[in-house]
Amino acid sequence: MTGIIMFIAALLLLSVGYPVAFTFGAVALFFGLIAAFVELLPDPSVAMVADEFFSMFSMMPFRIYSIMTNTILMAVPLFIMMGIVLQKSELAERLLESMGVLFGSLRGGLAISTVLVGTLLAASTGVVGASVVAMGVIALPVMLKYGYSKKLATGTICAAGTLGQIIPPSIVLIILGDVFQLPVGDLFKAALAPGLVLVGCYILYIAVVALINTKVAPAIVIDSAHKKGAVRRALFSIIPPLALITMVLGSIFMGVATPTESAAVGALGAMVLAAMYRKLSWQVVMDASLDTVKITAMVFAILIGATAFSMVFVYTGADYIVEDFMTSLPGEKWGFLILSMAAILLLGFFIDFIEISYIVVPILLPISEIIGINPMWFAILIAMNLQTSFLSPPFGFSLFYLKGVSPPEIRTVDIYKGVVPFIMIQMLVLASIVIFPHLYGFS
Amino acid sequence: KKVRWKLAMTWSSTLTPFATAPFNLAKMVEEMSGGNFVIRVEGAEKHKAALGILDMTKGGQYEMGHSASYYWKGKDISTVFFCTVPFGMNVDEQNAWFYHGGGMELMQETYDKFDVLSFPGGNTGVQMGGWFQKEINSLEDLKGLKMRIPGLAGEVFAKLGVNVTNIPSGELYTSLDRGTIDALEWVGPAMDIKMGFHKIAPYYYTGWHEPATELQFLINQKAFEELPPEYQTMLVTAMKAVTADLYTDNFAGSVEAWSQMKKDYPNIVVKTFPPEVLAAMKQAADELYDAYAAEDPFFKKVWESQKEYMEKARTWTQISEYNYINTVNQLSE
Amino acid sequence: MLHRTEQFIHRLVNWVGYLLAVLLFLMVLNVTFDVMMRYVFRASSVGMQEMEWHLFSVIILFGVGYALQHEAHVRVDFLYDRMREKTKAIINIIGTLFFLVPLSLLILFGSFSFVGDSYLAREISEDPGGLHYRWLIKSMIPVSFGFLIFSAIGYIIANINRLRS
Ligand code: NA
Ligand code: NA
Repeated sequence: MTGIIMFIAALLLLSVGYPVAFTFGAVALFFGLIAAFVELLPDPSVAMVADEFFSMFSMMPFRIYSIMTNTILMAVPLFIMMGIVLQKSELAERLLESMGVLFGSLRGGLAISTVLVGTLLAASTGVVGASVVAMGVIALPVMLKYGYSKKLATGTICAAGTLGQIIPPSIVLIILGDVFQLPVGDLFKAALAPGLVLVGCYILYIAVVALINTKVAPAIVIDSAHKKGAVRRALFSIIPPLALITMVLGSIFMGVATPTESAAVGALGAMVLAAMYRKLSWQVVMDASLDTVKITAMVFAILIGATAFSMVFVYTGADYIVEDFMTSLPGEKWGFLILSMAAILLLGFFIDFIEISYIVVPILLPISEIIGINPMWFAILIAMNLQTSFLSPPFGFSLFYLKGVSPPEIRTVDIYKGVVPFIMIQMLVLASIVIFPHLYGFS
Repeated sequence: KKVRWKLAMTWSSTLTPFATAPFNLAKMVEEMSGGNFVIRVEGAEKHKAALGILDMTKGGQYEMGHSASYYWKGKDISTVFFCTVPFGMNVDEQNAWFYHGGGMELMQETYDKFDVLSFPGGNTGVQMGGWFQKEINSLEDLKGLKMRIPGLAGEVFAKLGVNVTNIPSGELYTSLDRGTIDALEWVGPAMDIKMGFHKIAPYYYTGWHEPATELQFLINQKAFEELPPEYQTMLVTAMKAVTADLYTDNFAGSVEAWSQMKKDYPNIVVKTFPPEVLAAMKQAADELYDAYAAEDPFFKKVWESQKEYMEKARTWTQISEYNYINTVNQLSE
Repeated sequence: MLHRTEQFIHRLVNWVGYLLAVLLFLMVLNVTFDVMMRYVFRASSVGMQEMEWHLFSVIILFGVGYALQHEAHVRVDFLYDRMREKTKAIINIIGTLFFLVPLSLLILFGSFSFVGDSYLAREISEDPGGLHYRWLIKSMIPVSFGFLIFSAIGYIIANINRLRS
């Protein structure tokens, strides 16, 4: 019961608008105090409650140290670094513009090329923030300029920017690998097919919408005199980032580097690329590093807040209640699967994937093992589901990232409405993995 | 009188048979005390501090811990002897040393400074030497070999030119599969089968480096002293029972897992390092012990106690267990 | 007076930020170097591999305070965006005083025995060729939360100044 109140208290306090990380920590603090009090009933003294409380929080250094020594998490700053260097050196921008030219004469072509670039960025960065921000800055003005509807434009950017979650390398998959104790490389492999199916569905959706409604995604007209040169320039801009992506993925698959290490190689590779285009300066490296420090710290502050939260959550015994509730479900495998997916989806509307991964998944994991659910399949289902948490109003991170870089005429409501069809596509694909696991290579 | 304790494990709650021991301990103690002595067991997935067990037991956040002594090598090098050391004793010899050769006393002397009590926590028996992508036929083959092998064994290998690499356990399978590393050491069939290494590496080398890995129960000294004497006895008795069970469970688990592996992957080649390589390893290990002993008199004291007892015990092992298996094997040949 | 204190803290925190940016760049080089050594030269140093997470730890721990000053911590802002500047400043002051600072103090003081145990045992790496002085990297936990409190004081002052203007 205390645990559920904790969640509600956290949600209420979060909506006040103080940073998420410290709000989680504060809720942990407050409920830790209550838990210490309850633990010592019927006769708690101030000294004993304080003692119990401090003893509980003296666990925090151990938890923080575990985060510090978890070298898989090192991929977070490294992937962010690579994404930001690509963005700051304007390489990502070139890539998008070039793709727009190549696909531009098709109706909906600009949106489709945004999805494709999102896929490429997803295959190289794995960091949703970087790709959403980059594409928001570059693609949104272009799409609006060519008369795209606000809803389709913002929805496409959010959905495409969030693809990094499921298309390897991916931080969600790295974190799930840590929680599930599954080889990250195997998870990456398993996520490829579902990710590509999702990309296909996005493109199909955009093509159909553009076909039915001529106003939402008009074609770009380039006069034929410019066309030849434009195509060549476009190819020139696309090939190098592709080479970088091949290098990063290649170094993982060829066994040169672990996924974590390949992120560092990618970050350095992005700098080399930027240097080749004469876009690299000390200022770019410094700015990229400073931005990476900020975003990384933001992510890890949430991790630290979340670990305090889950520590108190466990201390109050709330995890046993959720566990009992989940295990007592009828229908065994299917009942559990449907409910856990629904629970994650619901939680995803409010809290972030990192918290879900570390708080909720460890509760579901032992139960899924008892039921005998293929952990790889379960992990991919959760990863697909967590993607939605990035997109789902009101707290989806992608929505905030995009809002932060949008022109003022884009209102939050536009973005909220824009992502709805894409969320529905994600749920359809998720359902297809649940119903036809063998089609995606799961037994 | 109602007593509530908490126990933290280095492993997750699902890691059988390691985690089975503390859970059974809690069950036994609760039943023996008529429900009055309750121990809540928490795996690493809850406390998130797999290698903080000694500190947390010392600090009193947990009254008990279940771990392995060699994890505290960085705090005190002598702790390795209460787990296992390369070219050390086998299970029978080590148990005899613990209970009849002064081992328990030396262990407690080591752990006194941490204000905790230490007890044996179940043995894995001889651990396998690890999974290799290529054969080791000479010392030359070890040079530059990329291997994940922690602890003293890693130090021995490093001396022989092996490229000792730290890889987080979540990335081990991929790393071995893709050749990021050439070899790795884990435990034995019962636990290795879950990691799936047998699917990707052809050679399974026999053990030398962890001949009798003993896990460990840690108890906060103050908490133990505050227990009523009958609860102390219950706890010590239950620890001894689950410790024996763990050895049996792990042995049986390896019997099953090994027959399964051989059935599913008949091409696994079991290899033993050639004498030249083993001799070099032994020499490197001895040099290492000598170096530590020169620096640390207590290390020297424990090492000599083990060495002395091992020499004495080995002559008996030779004409009893070892001879029995050998002669019976000759019959069937 | 308050403005000068704000500027002083601001400069110091920024200076730490620059240091972290340099450490991040070093970490990228460190990881790449280790990959190169292993793949090309078939050699590796456990010490260098441990240096990776040492650098990483310093970046994530001290970055929290730097990110606070630069408003990089994520907020749920559908209400916050609509508030007046003064209301925002009040939320930030109260939140920092009652959420952030107590949590940081707890972690700071709660980690003394964690670091002390390591120091007294002269703890070193448990792996061959690993780094010594484990207590040093462990001590980054209390030090960084001290830094976070320092940055938080600057943040509170900045918001008081915002409130007064
Ligand atoms: Na990705
Ligand atoms: Na082992």
